[in-house]
Amino acid sequence: MTRSHRALREAMVIAACAVVLGFTSTAIRNKGVFAPATALSSVPQGKRPDTPTMIHLPEARNLFESGEGLFIDARHAFEFDRGHIRGAVSLPLNEFDKRAGFVDSLPRNKTLITYCDGVECNSSIGLASRLRDAGFPGVRIFFGGWNEWQAQNLPTAAGAP
Amino acid sequence: MRGFFTNDYNVLTARVFLGVLLVVVSADKIADPAAFAQSIQDYRIISGTATMVLATILPWLELLCGLALIAGVLVQASALLSGALLIVFTMAVISALVRGLDISCGCFTQDPAVSRIGWLKIGENVVLIAVAAFLYSSQNIRFSLDQYIRGQQSGS
Repeated sequence: MTRSHRALREAMVIAACAVVLGFTSTAIRNKGVFAPATALSSVPQGKRPDTPTMIHLPEARNLFESGEGLFIDARHAFEFDRGHIRGAVSLPLNEFDKRAGFVDSLPRNKTLITYCDGVECNSSIGLASRLRDAGFPGVRIFFGGWNEWQAQNLPTAAGAP
Repeated sequence: MRGFFTNDYNVLTARVFLGVLLVVVSADKIADPAAFAQSIQDYRIISGTATMVLATILPWLELLCGLALIAGVLVQASALLSGALLIVFTMAVISALVRGLDISCGCFTQDPAVSRIGWLKIGENVVLIAVAAFLYSSQNIRFSLDQYIRGQQSGS
């Protein structure tokens, strides 16, 4: 067996060990793929059949102008600081569990609308699912997100929440 | 020049450097696979369960390769895997930069506010790929567990 063949075979053994150790350790710690269902949903599953309703720009704009909606920015906090839909609040998807108090304080008499960058991101879908699971019925996902809102020159703001 | 590539201490330094680096970068990811999955997802190349599966396996691959390089066992295989991982990571970073994504690397820490991707990150990775290639081609086993094992075998 040549040196490179042996290396390849040994590399496959190391990879197999990584698979076993990875899944065993996450199973023991109830993390990652073995996390309880609520934590697992932090990884967005865009094609879940019970994904909250997606809305497009005209409806998002109506909710903004009527004041009936509260926009929730699912992007990282520094992206929110750089620019966001005016009146939006920041709730990055990966901070959902840490900010349970903030989630509880969200108004229940308004339509919550999640958004992220745009059609190519998934965090708005994940955040909407988490909010629905946390007891907010009627959550909407603004599919066009920040990119579409900005492109239409609609009201924005910048700075920390 | 040939002496540089076969020098015992150069090989040892390269092994420990890459090995320690891999162990360090794996720690944060092993501790919180969900945060690492989010970092992978930020690249917008794959999504859903696939990110979680990768986030489960990749950190352990880094850890095992790192430990093997430090100990000096399965050095060539570990260098091969590390190099392959680094090439894939670098391609992901390039693809994110080309698409204009301003995201965190997710390399050392999963804190999104630090370690933004940029062309410097690609430069760093190229150096690391060169170190991995050097170790892959090196046959020097001085100061390694391999050397000890072979010594035991030939002694018995």
